[in-house]
Amino acid sequence: MNMPSQQNKGRPGGRARRRRNPQLSFRPSFPVSFPVSFRQALWRAFLPALLAALLLSACGQRQAPADPQVYQSRFLALGTLVDVNLWGVDEDLGARAVRVVEEELDRFHRQWHAWRPGPLAELNRRLAAGETVPVSSERLALLRRARDLSLRSGGLFDPAIGGLVRLWGFHNDDPPNGPPPPAAAIRDFLARRPTMEDLVLEAAPDGASGRVRSTNPALQLDLGGFAKGYAVDRAVERLLALGVRNAIVNAGGDLRAVGSHGDRPWRIGIRDPRGPGIIAALETRGDESVFTSGNYERFFEYQGVRYHHILDPRTGHPAAGTLSVTVIHRDAATADAAATALFVAGPQGWRQVARQMGIEQVMLIDEDGRIHVTPSMNQRLIFQSEPLPEVIETPL
Amino acid sequence: MTRADYGVAAATLLLLVLLYTLFWSESRAGFPGDGRAEAARIATADGREFTLPLDHDQILELAGPLGTTVLEIRDGAVRFLSSPCRGKLCIHAGWLRHGGEFAACLPNRISVAVVGPRTLYDSINF
Repeated sequence: MNMPSQQNKGRPGGRARRRRNPQLSFRPSFPVSFPVSFRQALWRAFLPALLAALLLSACGQRQAPADPQVYQSRFLALGTLVDVNLWGVDEDLGARAVRVVEEELDRFHRQWHAWRPGPLAELNRRLAAGETVPVSSERLALLRRARDLSLRSGGLFDPAIGGLVRLWGFHNDDPPNGPPPPAAAIRDFLARRPTMEDLVLEAAPDGASGRVRSTNPALQLDLGGFAKGYAVDRAVERLLALGVRNAIVNAGGDLRAVGSHGDRPWRIGIRDPRGPGIIAALETRGDESVFTSGNYERFFEYQGVRYHHILDPRTGHPAAGTLSVTVIHRDAATADAAATALFVAGPQGWRQVARQMGIEQVMLIDEDGRIHVTPSMNQRLIFQSEPLPEVIETPL
Repeated sequence: MTRADYGVAAATLLLLVLLYTLFWSESRAGFPGDGRAEAARIATADGREFTLPLDHDQILELAGPLGTTVLEIRDGAVRFLSSPCRGKLCIHAGWLRHGGEFAACLPNRISVAVVGPRTLYDSINF
């Protein structure tokens, strides 16, 4: 029994390494001779068994109730319910990743909240007073992005109309009770109508900061229809930096999905704005955002008339003619702004605005419940109702 | 290796598989949300989370900051029956039946997600 062990010691090879420490080898203290084949059999049977046991128990640890391969977390952030799905991460990375997303969204929410006291309220106050306000490069980049998207939308997505949103009472956690603002107040606002062209953005020569001023005292920034998308983009960036490759960040129904659910694409259900249930499903490809603007999200009723929160900057009233617009686009900020702009453009004007903004995949449901889609969107959607709904497909 | 060696190896592996199925997977069967049957995972305002099977019809009254939200579980599906919120987005979501379907009453801080093997959607857009 001792002999083979000693012979092995001096010999190079896998077995010799395993036996280097004699304490670890099987060595009975009494003189007995096991048949070597039996010992080998023990090893050969136990090693795979041990490996199998380890593998099985590793699978067991990942077994979460909902979906064994998905790390999921839901929490309140951005004033809404945020839902994070991660695939192919361990418990530790999952927890860290969710913390990072939460932290990023919270930070963003504090910075850009449209009506609570905070940095944006302060910026609005100083812009209205005609001051030139120094801002960080980070804030400058965001404002520049919002301005670019607004101009490309022909002003239909307009973050400069915070004053109008306030007039309608939507600067509140709870929807207003009505009545709608007096016609004179809306006329007055439209006469002074601020746009993002009134916002002057200057980068400082050092590139590390910048300055902002407004040429229209009525300009009040409200980043609704953009902030959520921008924040989701930042959150996804941070996930990728952590090494997460497969994720969905869903903030109050709007989402960006990267990677896949391992063996299959991520599957998204789009809720039907006309009634209960899901209207269509789609599978995401690689890295893309799915954003919907709907008239059911925030609204109030007054004397039997429903007023929703997506305001048309041209009329000063809630945009008419549309129930919802769903946009698929690579980045969430663009998808968010586009969904808002196309909603405002309505069943007549949305195609032109989509072209201007470089958006190809759109579904618009008009107030009569008709479904308008672009060809590239139609290819993606798997409609869920029986019989299949009638779909109006028109090229952009 | 002799034939006896193969026998030992095979017997060990068989025993392992047997032990696994007996004491690991079977012990998890039958619980709501274990991936074998559809169940509703409900989160309430006070931070509680619990899971109820969808094959057992019932009406649930849950307290939130605005008042009582009523959930109905019937015929393998769950829905918000009433909620003291103003938007009624939760009720608008209708019956939730498939794994991955989800609705929430944010004002009253109550959310419902269906978990189970028939996962149709990873995430819901609205």
